[in-house]
Amino acid sequence: MVISPVLILFLSALFGALILGELTGRTGGAKARIVGAGVGAVAAIFGALLFMAPLNFCTFESDRKPIDLAFGLFLIAAGIALTLWIAAWISGKVLRGESLFALAQPTQGTFKGRIMPFLFLAPTLIILLLFLYYPSIDTLRLSTLLARFGAPRTAFVCVDNFTRLIDPGTRTSIQFIHSVRVTLLMSGAIVVIGLSLSLLIATIAYLPLKGASVYRTLLIWPYAISPAVAGILFLLMFNPTGGVINYFVGQVVGTTIGWTNDPNVAPWTVIIASVWKSMGFNILFYIAGLQNVPKDLIEAGAIDGANVIQRFFRIVLPQLSPITFFLVITNTTYAFFETFGTIIYLTPGGGPLQSTSTMMYEIYELGVLSNQDLGKSAAQSLVLFAMVIALTVFQFRSTGRRVSYGA
Amino acid sequence: MRKSLLMAALLLTVLIVPTITPVFAQEPIEIPVWIAFADENRLGWTQEVAAEFNEMHPEYNVVVTGYANYEELFAATTLAAEQGELPAIVQYFEVATQPARDSGYFKSIAEALGDRTEILGEEVNLDDFIGVVSGYYTLDDQFTSMPWNTSSAIMFSNMNYLTAAGVETIPATWGEMAAACEAIMALAEAPEYCFTWPNHGWFFEQWLAQQNGLYANNGNGREDRATEVVFNGPEGVAILEWLDEMVAAGYLYYSGAQGGDSWATVDQSFQAQQVAMAIYSSSDTRTYTDVGRENGFEVVASFLPYNEEAGYTGNLIGGASLWLTNTLTPEEEDGALGFLLYLTNTENMAVWASEITGYIAIRQSSNDLLTEQGFFEAEPNFTVAAQQLAQSELTPATAGALLGPFPAVRAVVTAAIDRVLLTDDDAQTVLDEAAAEANLLIEEYNLLYAE
Repeated sequence: MVISPVLILFLSALFGALILGELTGRTGGAKARIVGAGVGAVAAIFGALLFMAPLNFCTFESDRKPIDLAFGLFLIAAGIALTLWIAAWISGKVLRGESLFALAQPTQGTFKGRIMPFLFLAPTLIILLLFLYYPSIDTLRLSTLLARFGAPRTAFVCVDNFTRLIDPGTRTSIQFIHSVRVTLLMSGAIVVIGLSLSLLIATIAYLPLKGASVYRTLLIWPYAISPAVAGILFLLMFNPTGGVINYFVGQVVGTTIGWTNDPNVAPWTVIIASVWKSMGFNILFYIAGLQNVPKDLIEAGAIDGANVIQRFFRIVLPQLSPITFFLVITNTTYAFFETFGTIIYLTPGGGPLQSTSTMMYEIYELGVLSNQDLGKSAAQSLVLFAMVIALTVFQFRSTGRRVSYGA
Repeated sequence: MRKSLLMAALLLTVLIVPTITPVFAQEPIEIPVWIAFADENRLGWTQEVAAEFNEMHPEYNVVVTGYANYEELFAATTLAAEQGELPAIVQYFEVATQPARDSGYFKSIAEALGDRTEILGEEVNLDDFIGVVSGYYTLDDQFTSMPWNTSSAIMFSNMNYLTAAGVETIPATWGEMAAACEAIMALAEAPEYCFTWPNHGWFFEQWLAQQNGLYANNGNGREDRATEVVFNGPEGVAILEWLDEMVAAGYLYYSGAQGGDSWATVDQSFQAQQVAMAIYSSSDTRTYTDVGRENGFEVVASFLPYNEEAGYTGNLIGGASLWLTNTLTPEEEDGALGFLLYLTNTENMAVWASEITGYIAIRQSSNDLLTEQGFFEAEPNFTVAAQQLAQSELTPATAGALLGPFPAVRAVVTAAIDRVLLTDDDAQTVLDEAAAEANLLIEEYNLLYAE
């Protein structure tokens, strides 16, 4: 099916005009409605072109599959949503007569000139531009290509690298959906188990014991070990035949566990290794957090007759909520992006029946380890990126509101 | 004022002097060599050989740089090529032969040598290399890259178990393996499993070649660029079915590790005497033999067991070769060729294969030398891989496949083996699916590289 780009742009403009016209009309009256409609139309055209201009409207060519077409429409919708949101935000400010740039009241310490602040920001901005923004934009470009590291040429494949991930029934999509599931389950387990265990140990280590500072220092050590080294250590310890863990398990229980060759157990082996690895970092933050819990609050609780457990759950835990919230986000990021280093060495090849093959591991395997397929791995990393963004926004919206930062 | 004049004079000297010096002192020509070994043993030895070469030929300065693994070296080479700063010699592992050929960075050794019989006093004698070895690296009838570290798949047996079980001759076929395992596992002091192997794509390739089965079409990719894999024929299915039977019987231990990092689990279970036999690469013959000596058991190396129903054709090699880049000046090229010939000469290859590693002596003359020195008599384990390759018939199957995306196809094959061993899925179905997946990889690779 061929859809003409002109038609798409026309419909987008119409949609944008309607939406923004309605929004501005409500607050600003008839005149504002007309201006708003104009701005909305332009914004929506920009939104539609945001992804479609670089793609040259390829999803709407005649030989594309329906799923490509649907994905194309999704990209247009996403683009329009983004530009309209910005347009609505700006026009809202203008209508209310607020300045666009003065976000906060200027205080004593602000720079007067326009150039000075940017001069001071320049080193950071240049580094961000060169090492973060440019590669990110290049990832977008790569994700539309069939490209290999070192290959003399590339081929444009439109949105194939994305659509084949969700095209039902194909081997790629089965693998992809499997890896999404593995990622979510393992990340969830790593965050929940990691944080509960760290809090428990931190609470114990915080008790006024002799030589507590020595314990605390020792507890932080695992954090200093690289994921790859942790992976190799755990592989040799957990090797079902010949490894030391199963030797002790066999002595005590009389039977052994398929730590790395049982698809039901292997994810837990990775979870154990990852939790151990991130625990030092979590404990460090929890001990710092515990030191900031006001003693008078706990004393007041004790006087009112709350026992140790009540004091912990009603006073200490809520007081720690900013730390917990911060750790949930850093641990999620760790579970998503860093555990692949452990997986490569602990369950080489993605585990028995791909049971530990997380999205990040797949991307590494695809783009670096064996295939050097830059296009597909770029596409998958964009999907992962979108997932993590969505998850973080969700965390801020849902949990972030319940975080208490004290008085 | 005087101070700034002095500074200017100093600056001038600093700027001018380096540009003049080469005219007076003859700087040796630098020959950068990049290899994928970072260990003191192999990298250290290579650097020593380079130092000897530099002493013999003061007009050259061979500098050997080690990289952690083949992938890293491959990445570094690609980057260097983009910046126009390729070294003179790069080591590529055997399955990267096709990518090396496609990269356009390299020149064939035969072409660079021409009709010359010696370079810088180093004798050119390419016929001295063992057949399967030079066969692997002979492309379009041309000796293309210099063979160096070459191994074969063999088996190590813990003789304590075999003798106790009354197994007099080490099993040589799949059928004999089953019989020996039955006896070993019936022992009162039986190991946890009878044998193990690393789930690495190389072993599937070995067993396929033994049965004279092709891996890819177009004569294993040697007559013309391979366009699809053909490993899902009866030979390939037989391998998966045999492994599955051995696992089901409780004889074969599979650690779950796949690919390049699966070796360590095999080392560990063999060393801990939890298995009686280990299928492995001959590259670690030194380690395996010594592990037995240190822990009180005799380790005997033997040929890789084959499928007696399909008969034995031959084994293929593993390892890597050294490639000559094509952007060198004639002087640099002669230096690089001279070093390649010196590094792989009779004496050096004999030392490499006996004292430094368990790689085979790739020259017939090196083997003769080691026999003469009585090395093989004292260390019979070191003869196994070379004998296995010497008895191999050279066919397109035993020459080994050439595939563009070979490392990725290997990952597909090991995942297929993993699936057959851990589920009830039928070997033929699993292998057919793996072949389809591999074909997609090949199709995409060829789209970017094929003319």
